[in-house]
Amino acid sequence: MSPGPAVQFYIFGNQNLPVTDTLLVGWLTMIIILIGVKYLTTKLEIRPNKKQNVAELLIEAIHGQIEPMLPGEGWKFLPFIATIFIYITLSNIIIVIPGLTSPSADLNLTLGLALVVFIVVQQQGIKEYGLFGYLKSYAEPVIFLLPINIIGELAKPISHSFRLFGNIIGGLIIVSLIYQAAPPIIPVPLHLWFDLFVGLIQGFIYGMVAIAYISVAKT
Amino acid sequence: MIEFSPEVAESIITIASFVASGLALIAGVGPGIGMGYAAGKATTAVRRQPEARGAIITTMLLGQVVSGSTGIYSLIIAIFLIFGI
Repeated sequence: MSPGPAVQFYIFGNQNLPVTDTLLVGWLTMIIILIGVKYLTTKLEIRPNKKQNVAELLIEAIHGQIEPMLPGEGWKFLPFIATIFIYITLSNIIIVIPGLTSPSADLNLTLGLALVVFIVVQQQGIKEYGLFGYLKSYAEPVIFLLPINIIGELAKPISHSFRLFGNIIGGLIIVSLIYQAAPPIIPVPLHLWFDLFVGLIQGFIYGMVAIAYISVAKT
Repeated sequence: MIEFSPEVAESIITIASFVASGLALIAGVGPGIGMGYAAGKATTAVRRQPEARGAIITTMLLGQVVSGSTGIYSLIIAIFLIFGI
């Protein structure tokens, strides 16, 4: 047993182009999201039907999380934040389908999304204060704190990505250890806890921390 | 200075990294205390103001996540020590 992505096959047999199960399950997640979105948003009406109510409930719930922390800009950040919320949550809990591994149990996916969030945070900070004013904010309150501020800023994507990765892969390792020790019935409730509950909470947390980083950069 | 053969040195390194990965998980004590303290305070706050339940739970989760990061770091280091050899 080894954690991390398992290479399924190579494109054209080229050793530099591996296709891992993270990639395959990640694309499967995207296809599921696309089908779900297409299903929920056909025939939009002024008086919503059942499907449209579900979609509006989801979007309103995510908007209700953004609006208190970024006042007045909820709808502007909604596409970005809702993408993170839905994709991360679904890729966390897709592990309940037997035979699939979670894409979030791979540092490449979590670190990639954390770097996207990091770039958005820098861009929002520069947009708010101008380039010079933003760079100057690193040397506040005194110039001696400059290296500490830079390290603190660079630590954000690292902690952001390692948190999700560590939670998911920790659960995977614990469940696989229990499977070796007591195979028949005992691991089933653990799946409920480690896959569903921790997956949902961590997907929520990942999006909330992204909102918090953006709102810190703008104030 | 004692000279070890390469096999002995390798097994000593393996044993040491297993022991170290166990020791690294002692770091789970701190985040556990911190997250429990936050949850206790949130319970008190919900008791005092039940109508602010949603906002309190969101704030509690954010605080618990930040304080729980150190535990996750120790878990990552333990995983690297076990599987990275």
